[in-house]
Amino acid sequence: MFIRLVSFTYMLYLVLPIALILVGSFGETWVNALLPEGSTLAWYQELWDDRSFTRAFVTSLIVGGASCVINTLLCVPLAYSLVHGAKQKNRFATRLLTLLPVAVPTITLGFGYILVFNTDAMPWLGSTPLLIAAHVVLTLPYLTQALVTDLRHQRLDRLEEAAATLGARPLERFFGIIVPNLRYSLLSGLVMVAALSIGEFQLSNLIVGFQNRTYPVVLLQAFYGATGFACAATVILLLLATVASLTSTLASKKA
Amino acid sequence: MSLSFEHVGFQYRGTSIGVHDINLSLDSGELVALIGPSGSGKTTLLRLTAGLITGHSGRIVLGGRDLSNMPVHERHIGMMFQHYALFPHLTVLENVAYGLKMAGVKPDERRKKSQEMLELVGLGQLAARRPAQLSGGQQQRVALARALAYSPQALLLDEPLSALDASIRGQLRDQIRQLQQQFGATTVLVTHDQEEALAMADRIALLDQGRVLQYGTPTELYENPKNETVARFVGLSTIVEARVCADNRVDTGYATLACDTAGRAIGSAVKLLVRPEHVEADPAEGSVNRIAGRVTLNRYLGSFNRYDFVPTGGSEPWLGEARVAPAAAIAVAPEHIRLLAD
Repeated sequence: MFIRLVSFTYMLYLVLPIALILVGSFGETWVNALLPEGSTLAWYQELWDDRSFTRAFVTSLIVGGASCVINTLLCVPLAYSLVHGAKQKNRFATRLLTLLPVAVPTITLGFGYILVFNTDAMPWLGSTPLLIAAHVVLTLPYLTQALVTDLRHQRLDRLEEAAATLGARPLERFFGIIVPNLRYSLLSGLVMVAALSIGEFQLSNLIVGFQNRTYPVVLLQAFYGATGFACAATVILLLLATVASLTSTLASKKA
Repeated sequence: MSLSFEHVGFQYRGTSIGVHDINLSLDSGELVALIGPSGSGKTTLLRLTAGLITGHSGRIVLGGRDLSNMPVHERHIGMMFQHYALFPHLTVLENVAYGLKMAGVKPDERRKKSQEMLELVGLGQLAARRPAQLSGGQQQRVALARALAYSPQALLLDEPLSALDASIRGQLRDQIRQLQQQFGATTVLVTHDQEEALAMADRIALLDQGRVLQYGTPTELYENPKNETVARFVGLSTIVEARVCADNRVDTGYATLACDTAGRAIGSAVKLLVRPEHVEADPAEGSVNRIAGRVTLNRYLGSFNRYDFVPTGGSEPWLGEARVAPAAAIAVAPEHIRLLAD
């Protein structure tokens, strides 16, 4: 009974703001009341016409997509070496490396980037590649962890040994046995990466340039304007994130 | 193809665990079982042969080739694992064909060969299934087909039956042995089940603490164990402490028994080995080596009874087997009492 009450309160706490935003995005005016008045699609139209929002939307997709590609290339070998041959000492180092971005407050990382990449030697602050690199650093631990868990769970080392006795070379084992068997955890991990990247605000806000602002960064500006407009803009972000996490859940269920 | 181990040694880093100065040779087509308690080094020796662990001293020679510095994938040795290790993302047929594919055999040919191998293990109709849709016994048969399909130069079996139900175990044991002989594959079997070793192997090597205690045919190990450890590990037995009291006579404390003392000094301590099938139930009054006492525990095993018999005045039971458990006495013929070397 108590647990139900707690879960219900928690759900309410989680769902209510989202529901209000959804309602607000279709409301005409919303001033000093619990609910808005009238209904309209004008806010979405306005959003569609706003160049800075559409551009930010595309930027977010590009950054998220690029993060996925780079993460795949980095994480599969990384997870493999973490589980597999890595010696105890290296294993600790790699573990630390992958967990640090989770443990260190993002804002610290952002200040660090500002200091380093605002120099004459590396004047890359505000560039898209730096933004992508930052997102990769932030999301890499999550994908790596998903892959490591799967590698251990499936005992892929045993399969690899079997393949080796059957004459498979190291690369044939990696691409023929390891990678195909990681497909589900890779997929679900990647959707998580995409969701994290699309929603990322703290770090992006510090290091983006004006021309390549991501969607959440631009969204912040919307809060200074009309409430309905801000709600509509938020709904779009929510939609993106939901699609990503739903796909992730489905993919991991399949695994 | 003959396989030999010459002074093979290996230690896991930072430990004294491993194998030490192993010398064994297998004739072509022979099946040798490695048995021994856990930690005896049997699995280590098998994995060294496969190349799954490297860095041993001495030489492992297969058909005249020294395997020592050869990577796993070049050794061409088929292997069966305890947990099947079938590739879950491939069909049964693709699993069997994997070794042929790696060897560069053309698709048509390898499909044909693999299908033949599946027929041989009786799973021809399951070729299109995934491993996960098969029972444990079926999976292990696929693994057997996979290990043999690419005509390996030797076969390594790493406890292939220990994950299976008892009912399937016997069946698969016979099937493995039959195919192994049919293919003439020189085979090393690691098992912790001594009955499995006795039933399948041409020769058995008993390992303990990384060393070979005895290497011989199952009969040799059972009938002529070199020492107490071998006697205890292979087959069931009664081992009795006694003292030589006269020439060809020993005293157990509760009885004096006639047996071959092989010229040992009177008064010296000896250990007697008696196998249960040689213990005679309720011998005639006045028989040689008659021991009075009673059965303290009897196990009905269908075709016979296996019982613990505690002699009057003694405390350690004798293990015997008979159609009918004895009521009051047992006897062992002198030629069936063996003195163990220390």
